[in-house]
Amino acid sequence: MKIFRIASATCALAVLLLAGAGTVARADAAPSASAAELKDAASKAPTTSTLAAGDPGGAITGTVSDVPVSDAKAGLTLSDVANQVGQNKIGINFTWTLLCGFLVMFMQAGFAMVESGLCRVKNANHTYMMNFFVYGCGLFAYWILGFAIQMGGAAGSGNLGGLQPLASEHTLSLFGKTWGVFGQTGMFLSGHSYDVGVMVIFLFQMVFMDTALTIVTGACAERWKFLTFSVSSVLMGAITYPLFANWAWGGGWLAQLGSNMGLGKGYADFAGSGVVHAVGGVTALACALIVGPRIGKFNRDGSANAILGHDISAVLIGCFILAFGWFGFNPGSTLGASGAGCLRIGSVAVNTMLAGCTGTFGALLYMWVMKGKPDASMSANGLLAGLVAITAPSGFVNPISSGIIGLIAGVLVCVSVAFVENTLKIDDPVGAISVHGACGLFGVISVGLFADGKSNYGGAWNGVTGSVTGLFYGDASQLVAQLVGVSTLVGFVFGFSYALNWVLDIFLGQRVSAESEVAGLDLPEMGQLGYPEFVFTPEPAFMTATPQAAVA
Amino acid sequence: MAATKSQGRSFSLFIVGITAAAIGVASFSSGIGKLALIGGLVMLAASFGLFLKIKPEEGEVADKGQPAVMRVAGVLAAFLGWVIVLFGLNLSTTVSGRMVTTIIGIAVSLVGALALLPAAANKNPIWKA
Repeated sequence: MKIFRIASATCALAVLLLAGAGTVARADAAPSASAAELKDAASKAPTTSTLAAGDPGGAITGTVSDVPVSDAKAGLTLSDVANQVGQNKIGINFTWTLLCGFLVMFMQAGFAMVESGLCRVKNANHTYMMNFFVYGCGLFAYWILGFAIQMGGAAGSGNLGGLQPLASEHTLSLFGKTWGVFGQTGMFLSGHSYDVGVMVIFLFQMVFMDTALTIVTGACAERWKFLTFSVSSVLMGAITYPLFANWAWGGGWLAQLGSNMGLGKGYADFAGSGVVHAVGGVTALACALIVGPRIGKFNRDGSANAILGHDISAVLIGCFILAFGWFGFNPGSTLGASGAGCLRIGSVAVNTMLAGCTGTFGALLYMWVMKGKPDASMSANGLLAGLVAITAPSGFVNPISSGIIGLIAGVLVCVSVAFVENTLKIDDPVGAISVHGACGLFGVISVGLFADGKSNYGGAWNGVTGSVTGLFYGDASQLVAQLVGVSTLVGFVFGFSYALNWVLDIFLGQRVSAESEVAGLDLPEMGQLGYPEFVFTPEPAFMTATPQAAVA
Repeated sequence: MAATKSQGRSFSLFIVGITAAAIGVASFSSGIGKLALIGGLVMLAASFGLFLKIKPEEGEVADKGQPAVMRVAGVLAAFLGWVIVLFGLNLSTTVSGRMVTTIIGIAVSLVGALALLPAAANKNPIWKA
């Protein structure tokens, strides 16, 4: 009996073992369908000898054999393919964002040409140099501090891999809600922020910041001391711009108006009518008020004299450079060309073009009808006005709305220039306050009016499910959010910029000496004429007379 | 007088100072970071002292000055309008109520920015001389 029990147990154990081995053997012998397909595809990939014969049509370059394999023994797996898909998405988005950033950087050349062209020849070097050096001042300030303030807490952009290192936002608890105030990660792009995704967003955001800084140089041209301009630009790039940009784009309180207070999708500014242009425009207003008008700009009775620029061709070519760069400014703000609504880049680009076109028409026709001539400088400003105004709504509106927005902006800029000069008695040589300030604010408001609710950037905006929708399409609360943004620009940004530059005026002095101003800033400030071989035509007497009582 | 070597030196000190201060903030947890912050702030202060010292070298400026009281009033009005908007968002919970308080706040800010401050700038302008 004992032997029988042992034999039975042994036989049972043997049967069990054989069954298990069979099960394992069945698993090994029948791989999943996907693994089999991958293996089949890998076996059919062009061989090295086939590729060595050349591929003029591109039909056999870029195949399954280009997908990296994580485990050579296991061969190509679904996991390998999925990882490559993710890499491709992020790679496409990196490339798109960087190329658009390069286009925006090139806009610096456009601004330089427009501003210098609208100034007198004796100030050409100085005006060009301000636009040249503002790039360095802004980039430096942004690298050491500004980027951290703006984007230090901006983690979550799925288009660029998540930007997880940027996960430190200083918040404030108020009225039972948590509000983002400024970021804290990313100074010097060191530590955790030494990251491929962070590098891309830094470059893209930096060129936007520099656009805001360069706007101010236009309003203060022909009398702004180069030293004070340099210090002012560093501080604007380090503090003023990044603060508002954090509130709008970096996870700050303006963007949270939707999630915290039910105001639409929060303050929505697709590419920066408010963040870039209005910040630049209101700062330009603040600085122009402090610097004061050019000698000879206004007569004793308060009437204004037209001080003509020296190179209208530079102005118009500069405008085309700006319009070209704007194709990076607006469409690039999707931060990608793959996923999360990024295929709207074509719509955004067309909206941008249309608004620039109708902006030109608005200004040109206004001047032609009201003043009798299709004025070149105002037509140029009309193009820019349309482009500035469409910048915020470009990702949320349809082409017809874009045309309307541009047209209104083109007329608005003409009215605003006259208002600033004749009513406020503020001297703005290039119209920066009107183009970027007035039309920038109009662009912000336009989102709250014209956003049609058809866009879809990952199913949400600023953390609120749904699409940005304006008053004309059924959501008045979005307009309220936009107006809160306007208030922040006019109230906080303007006030802060004025106070900051007032302090700089006390310590440094904003304005050059009357002697330098009359002679032209090129020699006293820069040590060299912009056009040393030109023979200058004497200016009218009113431009060179320096009232003794006018000097401090 | 315009651009001078003194301006170059003072601006260089400003740049070094702000860089050191930023390094200090970035590495504040370490002892060296705290030292860098203090050193940076000292250099910044010194640069502003230099700016003030060399300011008279510019010469006579075409600017007769603006009344400080009006300027302060203008800046405060601009800020006040913004504060009105922020508190208005919590005073009312309806869209129309918030719209009204926001528009009122913007109007107050515009009084400061487009009325008071330009009036201050045009109180003693050079073109009235």
